[in-house]
Amino acid sequence: MHRYLYKLNERFQLICIAVVVGIFAALASVALNRGLVQVSEWLGHFRGNWYAFVFPAVGAALSSIFLHHVVKDYGGHGVPEVIYSISRRGGLLRLRSSYSRLVACLLTIASGGSAGPEAPVVISGASIGSNIGTFFRLKDRQRIVTVECGAAAAIAAIFNAPVTGIVFTLEAIAGEWSPTHLIPVSIASVVATEVSRILQGNQIPFESRLFHISNWDMAACIGLAVLSALVSISLMRMLRRFSGRFKSLPGLPWMRAAMGGTLVGLMGLVLPHVLGEGYEVIRTIIEEEFSSGMLLAGVVLTAKMAATALTIGSGGSGGLFAPCLVIGSLTGLFFHQVLDTAMPAIDWAGQSYFGLLGMAGVISGVLQAPMTGVFLVVEITGSYQVLLSVVLVAVISVTVSQFFEPSSVYHQELVARGELVKPRTDRHILSNLNMMEVLETDCHIVRPTMRLKELVDIVRRSHRNYFPVEDPESGDFLGMVHLDDIRSYLFDPYLQDTVLVEQVMESNVETVSLDDDLERVFEIFDRTGAWSLPVVQDGKFLGLISKATILDHYRKELLVNEES
Amino acid sequence: MKKQLLHVFRNTPFGREVLMQSVYFCRKTDTLLRVYIPRYRQFLMYFQYEIATIDLDKSFLRDPDTAREHAEQIILAGGLKPSFITPKRHTASTLPDVPVDFDYMTCPRSISDLSTKISLGHLGPKVRVIIRNAHFPVLIPTPVYKEWKSVTVFFGGSHNARKAMKVGAELAAITGLPMYVFTQAEDRPRQYYEHSLLEGGFGDLLEERRFEWLFFEKGDFKINLYHVPHDSLVVVGAYGHGVIKEVLFGSVLEEIQTVLPNNMVIVGPEVQI
Repeated sequence: MHRYLYKLNERFQLICIAVVVGIFAALASVALNRGLVQVSEWLGHFRGNWYAFVFPAVGAALSSIFLHHVVKDYGGHGVPEVIYSISRRGGLLRLRSSYSRLVACLLTIASGGSAGPEAPVVISGASIGSNIGTFFRLKDRQRIVTVECGAAAAIAAIFNAPVTGIVFTLEAIAGEWSPTHLIPVSIASVVATEVSRILQGNQIPFESRLFHISNWDMAACIGLAVLSALVSISLMRMLRRFSGRFKSLPGLPWMRAAMGGTLVGLMGLVLPHVLGEGYEVIRTIIEEEFSSGMLLAGVVLTAKMAATALTIGSGGSGGLFAPCLVIGSLTGLFFHQVLDTAMPAIDWAGQSYFGLLGMAGVISGVLQAPMTGVFLVVEITGSYQVLLSVVLVAVISVTVSQFFEPSSVYHQELVARGELVKPRTDRHILSNLNMMEVLETDCHIVRPTMRLKELVDIVRRSHRNYFPVEDPESGDFLGMVHLDDIRSYLFDPYLQDTVLVEQVMESNVETVSLDDDLERVFEIFDRTGAWSLPVVQDGKFLGLISKATILDHYRKELLVNEES
Repeated sequence: MKKQLLHVFRNTPFGREVLMQSVYFCRKTDTLLRVYIPRYRQFLMYFQYEIATIDLDKSFLRDPDTAREHAEQIILAGGLKPSFITPKRHTASTLPDVPVDFDYMTCPRSISDLSTKISLGHLGPKVRVIIRNAHFPVLIPTPVYKEWKSVTVFFGGSHNARKAMKVGAELAAITGLPMYVFTQAEDRPRQYYEHSLLEGGFGDLLEERRFEWLFFEKGDFKINLYHVPHDSLVVVGAYGHGVIKEVLFGSVLEEIQTVLPNNMVIVGPEVQI
């Protein structure tokens, strides 16, 4: 199989692999979907009992035990790991990630935890893509494309939304739109959607009715966009705060997850809307059947946000897509009810319309990916009529959200660790190079007690301008001799016999270590004006690092980036 | 230029022996010892085609307060300067990525299993993953500190064996220790192996008789292994098969590691020479 594949043009290779990735990622999504339905139905028989509030706790604890003790997967919630793998690790992901989060998320959500299945299917699909890429021994830049194919296919299959899969991957994960990536990603997304439709049927999850959209409704979009952005910001901050609080608690991870699950279960006793994915809430709002008043809408909205932050912050496994959609639809509902109360004379487009816009607003605000929000809402509701309003809400929500929270929920963790590198930037190219790669080890080491004559002999045979000086006893680095330092002695045989290396060497040389990154190395180059720097680790000379070599590698890396 | 050896420190008496072996190796070969003291149960090593997920056994994290102090004591007693690495990159907040840009790495026979499992004939699955993917040779030390007085290279004529020969010859040259080459002829004449050595660029070694050739045309391989000096550092090439393939089909490495209690340097298929 490898042989036939390698005969193909690189683009065709990627297209063929994208088809395979699309099929497997779709199967993973369908398996999770079916699993969630089955387990939720089975647990549904017991939901009416008093002890049902412990279900989320048991599910979260089992999920944590499964992740930490059975499959030993200590990764986070998934999407940041995929972004990290693409931006820093040539798309390498572990095989265990292709199933570990699926099982963990099944346990969390089916038991009532407030989370969605999307982040786990994204890492599962991405891991499938990565491992298929590795199986075919693809280069890093090709494997990155297969990872993106997997992520897009997973989203496309789980929402029956191919365009959302493509847009989400390129906007929120890859961070760039290039034709080389777009074609295979689109193919994987389409294939996955087809596989999902064959296995589960072609259904629009939340089909909406036709709306009569007036200018008043369009104007109200601005208010809803701002409210959605505020809700997004609050949700992101709650997630961060709850996560921090739970991490600081003593005890094993499964105990913390169980504690979060118990609190969610207790909330569910009073407000069952907060449990699980919550798609039933969206359906009720889209079908205009949510009959409770403004106050209850506000309470459910706040409770759902708290339940999501508790579930995910305490260590439960799951994603934010589904909770964001639910929170968004509740935001839209709440906003509609405020409008209806404040201006009863106006014939508003209805709670369904504002519910859709709220979903786009919150998901765009949290992911800071407006197009993902737009296409997701349009595809899962089949309502292209609202496109204009949805775009308006999404872009305003992202703008406001970015003002208060500069990074999306997926990027925050990476930004905090300094690991977020935007593609095709100077930093990205430099981060792909490491010190060992550019380290020059073919240097001539000289002794401090060496006479200059011997050094001149070495200079004659060498192509280098810098000569490191080492202590012959301890092997410690003592300094450097630059050709300029000895130029005046070169034609004086008398001085060559009398002057020693230690007399001409520079002992206060700026050095770098292997732990430094190339950004720091360039800072030193700029500050000192040097062309080469010695790399010294614990007093031992390891080699030289020169501007010319770095630039040479930089150029090669740039060419690789241009190819992709 | 200094080469570097990566050592993952286990703060137990067993870990002390292993670190002493690393210190000895570094001192003999003038290599810089770089020690990683784990703070989490797992770390990742990103190789070119595979991520090695190293699940450490509990003993690696035992008594973290004294780990650095113990490691420093052992390294200083061995005449080296302590040098510790702190991973700068993390796949997740509790999942550090340990760099792989080293020239050697020390691995006990098992890194993920309890040390009670460490015995002759047992190479842990994670150690096999490292051997299969690493571009550096892997030092598998004996469970108890043991100095070595010579270097023995296993040479069977293959490409991997030539890589092992190169590593072995380099180690013998740096340490100034005598070198043995062990060959079990497999229905092939001695000329075949000599030709392979010449092709590999070892003509000088062969002509100047810079090694003693333990060449066996007859006899059982395992029995002939008795002729390998007990205090020799064994250098052997490996194809890097997984544990199932190794057990089902066997390999020279499998037989050597089952029989010989020596310190071993395993040169995997991805080692760049």
